[in-house]
Amino acid sequence: MTDARAINDLRTRFQTDLAQSSTSQELQTVRDRYLGRKGGVIATLMKEVASAPADERPALGRLANELKRDIDLAIRERRTATGVGGQATSTVDVSLPGRGAVTGSRHPLTALREQIETIFAKMGFTALEGPEVEDEYHNFEALNMPRDHPARDMQDTLYLAEPLEPSAAPGPHNQPRTLLRTHTSGMQIRYMEEHEPPIRIIAPGPVYRRDNLDVTHTPMFHQIEGLLVGEGVTMADLKGTLEAFLRELFDPDTKVLFRPSFFPYTEPSAEVFIGCLFCDGVGCNVCKKTGWLEILGSGMVHAAVFEAVGYDPERYTGWAFGLGIERVAMLKYRVDDIRLFYENDLRFLEQFPA
Amino acid sequence: MRIQLSWLDDFVTVPVPVKEFASSLDMRGFEVGAIEPRPESSTANDTVFDLEITANRPDCLSVTGIAREVAAMYSTELRMPTSEMAPAEELVGGLPELSVTLEDADLCPRYAAAVAEVTVTDSPDWLVQRIEAAGGRAINNIVDVTNYVLLELGQPMHAFDFNRLKGAELRIRRAKPGEQIRTLDGQTRRLADNMLVIADGKRPQAVAGVMGGADSEVNQATRIIVLESAYFQPVSVRRTSKRLALSTDASYRFERGSDVSAPVRALERCCTLLRQIGASKAIGPVIDCYPDPKKPTCVLLRHKRIEYLLGQTIDSAFVVDILTRLGFTVEETDPGTWNVEIPLRRVDVSREVDLIEEIARHHGYERLPSTFPILDSPPPPADPRIERDRLVSQVARANCFSEAVTFAFIEHPVALPFVSDPDELVTITNPLSEQFTVLRPSLLPGLVGSVAHNHRRERHDVKLFEVATRFTRGGETRAVALAWTGAGTPEHWSQPSRNVDFFDIKSSVEQILNTLGVVTPVYRPATSAYLVAGHAAEVVTGNTRLGILGQLAPTVCVMLGLDGPDEVFVAELNLDTVAQVSSDRSNFRCAALPRHPSVVRDLSIIVASTLPASVVRDTIRSAAPDTLFSICEFDRYTGKGIPENCVSLSLRLTFREPDRTLTDTEVQQAVEEIVSALAASHQARIR
Repeated sequence: MTDARAINDLRTRFQTDLAQSSTSQELQTVRDRYLGRKGGVIATLMKEVASAPADERPALGRLANELKRDIDLAIRERRTATGVGGQATSTVDVSLPGRGAVTGSRHPLTALREQIETIFAKMGFTALEGPEVEDEYHNFEALNMPRDHPARDMQDTLYLAEPLEPSAAPGPHNQPRTLLRTHTSGMQIRYMEEHEPPIRIIAPGPVYRRDNLDVTHTPMFHQIEGLLVGEGVTMADLKGTLEAFLRELFDPDTKVLFRPSFFPYTEPSAEVFIGCLFCDGVGCNVCKKTGWLEILGSGMVHAAVFEAVGYDPERYTGWAFGLGIERVAMLKYRVDDIRLFYENDLRFLEQFPA
Repeated sequence: MRIQLSWLDDFVTVPVPVKEFASSLDMRGFEVGAIEPRPESSTANDTVFDLEITANRPDCLSVTGIAREVAAMYSTELRMPTSEMAPAEELVGGLPELSVTLEDADLCPRYAAAVAEVTVTDSPDWLVQRIEAAGGRAINNIVDVTNYVLLELGQPMHAFDFNRLKGAELRIRRAKPGEQIRTLDGQTRRLADNMLVIADGKRPQAVAGVMGGADSEVNQATRIIVLESAYFQPVSVRRTSKRLALSTDASYRFERGSDVSAPVRALERCCTLLRQIGASKAIGPVIDCYPDPKKPTCVLLRHKRIEYLLGQTIDSAFVVDILTRLGFTVEETDPGTWNVEIPLRRVDVSREVDLIEEIARHHGYERLPSTFPILDSPPPPADPRIERDRLVSQVARANCFSEAVTFAFIEHPVALPFVSDPDELVTITNPLSEQFTVLRPSLLPGLVGSVAHNHRRERHDVKLFEVATRFTRGGETRAVALAWTGAGTPEHWSQPSRNVDFFDIKSSVEQILNTLGVVTPVYRPATSAYLVAGHAAEVVTGNTRLGILGQLAPTVCVMLGLDGPDEVFVAELNLDTVAQVSSDRSNFRCAALPRHPSVVRDLSIIVASTLPASVVRDTIRSAAPDTLFSICEFDRYTGKGIPENCVSLSLRLTFREPDRTLTDTEVQQAVEEIVSALAASHQARIR
């Protein structure tokens, strides 16, 4: 039998026992004596409470549980103060490094690509990828660049010695794939061949040109192509969308300039510039004293391109743009040599936020 | 195209300062590359603008072409150069007669020529100065005048020495088999039979539209010349120029499309200038072979369409005015509709939209409003590959691998170990260098090359990964590759450091496959030309190989620039194959949590050290009841107390049943059955 007084006595006894124990071993002995599952003081007490008269049981039960909790807490507190293995130190050196390494870094080109994908995703654009080895038709002809057209000089092409084996499901215009795509614009054709407007896509990925390695050129680089087609799509929409994109990518106050240009697959065509990030538009070596940095090419999809994919250019209008990721990365992160992106020097990569 | 301001001023008055003028040219699509003062010019404050003329505007590859744009820009007067041909009686100065035969009107739709008696000498200073300001070199008064006309009007011209032409004739024909020509640059060139030439009675005297021949070159001894002014078919000139690897001011213009209406006008201008500088007195009649004269075409322009495309209304008066100033003939047919006649020089204009571009360009892109397109349909489903690749990248980075991006081309020798058959390699016909001759069949050569780069910079602990495309003749595949060398665990004061081993790289592979939903990948020994035997595995599900992992062979390390004792562990997974065997997450359903406790039994057995753990597992699985929930190898020990060639394997077996608590007896019975099965199959002994 037990009562409130007996429980109180147990508490006093525990406090004496606790006070007399100093090492962690002694502490463990006290813990076993009181909290041991079989034959521990508390375990015995609980059995007694269970057999107490029904009207006393709730009150006694509460007291017993309180005692159990207090004993447990007192021992834990004492143990922490005693330190690991009973040593005198009771603190850890929080300034020592944690175990394990920090996470690996993200390559700036993919980080930027994802950032751009995210901005366009918010505007309703879906990202898609296309083949890197292309045929003449999708890379040039359908984009209003027939064979022997001087516009082909703008993109020096790398050719395969032999075409790739034909893919399992050849499309209507698929030819032997004989070249490395010189731009991501071929994805415009591939997508429009398979889908009807409205269209809102971006197509990121590597592209290849026969350019010698130097501070601003690599034979492989990355582009993001954008395409929007529908009824009543205007060049003013192109301007508004690209301004919004560039202001989110760079700075809300970024100045944006559209200037006439020529691309065979767009008309009218526009080159897009942003106010120089290096001199604030005053004129410096980076912007060649113009105050502007060329950032992307764009324009209204050429009627010949629509005709190539079987769209009615009278009904549908659309625009497209293409942007070089390396160029943007160089400007945004102040990288002065494009080759750094391909050396994968960890001293370079680890600077970028994971 | 270098444009001298004082020359431009002959035809149009630029009403604004140089800087503002340059900026206006920029905004009309004529990028100003450089602005160069010309202190040596006789005109004060003279300037040369280096303009980037886009490939669609050959009509602007001349001073007058730019002048027309400038006049339209500032709504000001355009003064085209004048030519007065001499009265007919002056033409007959006892000049010999020339016969011109146009044999190939497909490749040369128009050929004009005239004979002139000349005095060859140096050009006057003003002429020399203009040629030089344009980036040319003065040669003699005759050649300089032909070049001057090219710069002024954009029409390439050529002068032959008449007396060097056999038979006093010119034949415009294709080259004959085996024909050669020594061009003005002194090179002897073999001609192909699809190339157009200008020949005399005997042999080619010029490569049409590209370069004249040295044999009929005008020199100090020349007394009579033939002036050529023609229109050559662009594709033909381009092919010839490419084939001969010879690009000239003339070929550059012809291949972009010259003005078919210009040859005679240019010839007349040339004659006027020759007389003006006193180089010629007697000039023969103009011979104009133009069998099929081209007529200007017309395009319908709708006012509404301008707004439909640009998103901005442009005043009708502006439309008519700007097109007229640019040389189009505009006639209103219905209200808001115009019939526009396109001058022949505008080879870039053939559709309504081409006219709209002209209007937008001169109206100014800066005046275009900024609007936002209406989203009127849900976006299409995302490309699953992009999401997958991002996920792989996240897992790799969480495993402390940094992301690399390498070139898709590699050297042929380093590609060889990575294909079973060299014919599988995709070769580049026109590589930039030996470094870039084949497309990578594997990401590993490039990635390990980057490891080597870091090694050379005294970085010994390197973990890199790349997600990218690989190429074989069969096609493209997307892959992830991992490369790990140096420490297996990061250095920390609490524990000794150790080098990376097979199980480190395997762990990363397991995590990637698990994240991508590959349920039961099987790892088995593999042989590979680039991995160390006995330290290499392939990972498969069913009969599908997902990838390969193991220690990179030292020979391959050396080939990729990594020497030294450090071991490199690599893995490469074909993500396209992985995607095919991944479980379909869209059908994922959550299972109820177990409501009854599980029972755990540890078992230590001694087996042959060559026995794979997977075989032990299989034996246990087949002997155990369904209540066996999991098997975990928690210790593997060889050494003291364990017989040679044997290993002690400790396994933790967890049993559970969803609807009840298992009894000791039944678990014990299960363990006994497992033990006897292990003993029977593998002579396993309980330790």
